[in-house]
Amino acid sequence: MIRVRGLRKHYRVHQRPPGLAAALRSVFRREYKTVAAVDGIDFDITSGERVGFLGPNGAGKTTTLKVLSGLLHPTGGEVNVDGHEPRRREDAFLKKIMLVLGQKQQLLWDLPPSETFELNRAVYDVPRPQYEATMRELGELLELGELVSKPARTLSLGERMKCELAAALVHRPRVLFLDEPTIGLDVSMQAVVRDFVQRYNERYGATLILTSHYMEDVARLCPRVIVIDRGKLVYDGALEELVTRIRPDKRIVLRFGRAVDTADLAGLGTVIRHDAGESVLDVHKDRVNEVVTRALARLPVTDLTVENPPLEEVMSELFARGRAERERHGKDGAA
Amino acid sequence: MKRYLRLLWMQLRASLLLTLQYRADFVLDGFVEVFWMATAIVPLLVVYRMRASVAGWSFGESLMVMGWFTFLEGVLEGAINPSLVTVVEHIRKGTLDFVLLKPADAQFLVSTARFQPWRATNVLTAVAIFAWGFHLVGRGPAPWAVVEALVTMTAAVAVLYSLWILTVSAAFYVVRIDNLSQLFNAVFDAARWPVSVFRGLVRMLFTFVVPLALMTTYPAQALLGTLPAATLAGALVGAALAFAISRAVWTASIGRYTSAGG
Repeated sequence: MIRVRGLRKHYRVHQRPPGLAAALRSVFRREYKTVAAVDGIDFDITSGERVGFLGPNGAGKTTTLKVLSGLLHPTGGEVNVDGHEPRRREDAFLKKIMLVLGQKQQLLWDLPPSETFELNRAVYDVPRPQYEATMRELGELLELGELVSKPARTLSLGERMKCELAAALVHRPRVLFLDEPTIGLDVSMQAVVRDFVQRYNERYGATLILTSHYMEDVARLCPRVIVIDRGKLVYDGALEELVTRIRPDKRIVLRFGRAVDTADLAGLGTVIRHDAGESVLDVHKDRVNEVVTRALARLPVTDLTVENPPLEEVMSELFARGRAERERHGKDGAA
Repeated sequence: MKRYLRLLWMQLRASLLLTLQYRADFVLDGFVEVFWMATAIVPLLVVYRMRASVAGWSFGESLMVMGWFTFLEGVLEGAINPSLVTVVEHIRKGTLDFVLLKPADAQFLVSTARFQPWRATNVLTAVAIFAWGFHLVGRGPAPWAVVEALVTMTAAVAVLYSLWILTVSAAFYVVRIDNLSQLFNAVFDAARWPVSVFRGLVRMLFTFVVPLALMTTYPAQALLGTLPAATLAGALVGAALAFAISRAVWTASIGRYTSAGG
């Protein structure tokens, strides 16, 4: 469905030096720097897959999505989405895809969302019966109800996002790019958006690429993740595998019936947190069985859970490693 | 073609709904419009109180220019400027991305994004001014003159629209074009006078660079039956050229937006 080879996107950025004198000088002579937002990325995505793009701010996630949707022309490399070259922005291509930008809105501000839906129906040439069926289904999945007939400006952020999604899906795109669709939403609304996206993918077999700051979104939605850091692809595969590779530890939470001293935990694993009634330990995954058995035998355990370390921590460790590596090769990397 | 007509109707519909939502604005704008119309005629009245003709135009004849000026102002304020504001906002907020994602011509979509439907009242005012003018001139327009005037007006609207597209294209480079559109409005104001009022360099400027002559003087001449055929032909060629150039500049600007962007 999607095939990307050696994708590069370089920006020429005007460097604005600090200070008034330097700023004045730059009016006459501008200095430019080339920034490699995306610097040689390859991946393939098959039809119906859900893939998460992960990476720190400025890693090149949004740039990649914009190249895939034809909004940006790549500096180099080859991009193919369902047989189309996105940069040509052919109607047939645009009718198959949609890009949802969580931070920007396409709803007409002063009018009810239903007007935006109608407008999109006309733009995308959706036949009336299909449009009505789609809107009925989207209305059910997103529980739109009355929302569609209130002016968009009177809706809450969460309600607006629901309507944004509906507006984006009027033409039932087969490929959906979601850039931070849950940004700024409260936890329950995040879950609503997440569930909806998954259901849309399952019902219509749409291919989906998602970027999000909320690891929960990615963990729940995307069996496969692509990690981008400084424009380079650092990982492509199952999320589970990434977690075990970066952090081979499991997190064990123990709750005790009576107070336990730190000394009693010696030899079990790395103590993350300990107070009288509860301890949190990191233990290598191969040792989990042994540690659990020992803890149950030695300590007054009333409750015990084994979980993966939080994804946020895994990711920050991954990016920290990337930074450390770059610093080590600092001299040749800086050029 | 049929599809774009339907799209145009959908966009117009949205603007109509918006207008109806703000009834107070609607009424207020109506009053302001009548007031401006009245003040617009004042300079003409003052000048023609002193003399019977200005640069070969009698008061009745120069009302034809005034009529077309009113008409064109309606087009500018009703169909062109509102979209200009919208597209500049799109560029600033980055929501132009949504326009570019749509499977329809982006220039068409931004050009029809917003209308001020009540500006259609300018057409009525223009007709009233023509009637007054012909009353003073002491005859009615010949039928073929009306057709010729409408053709000339189409060319005028095409030129106005092309200038607008060029202004919007500038927004890709400088982002803030408020000043540019204000300058444009100030210059456009001069179109209420027959172009022969101006002399030398200014007249050249208003004929060829910002073709105010084409916008109001030529249609007025056409209506009076005094427009030379060669001038009409030149106006049509010029309008087609302006349209083609603006389209090319727009395409190049969009290309730059997508290749730089970010």
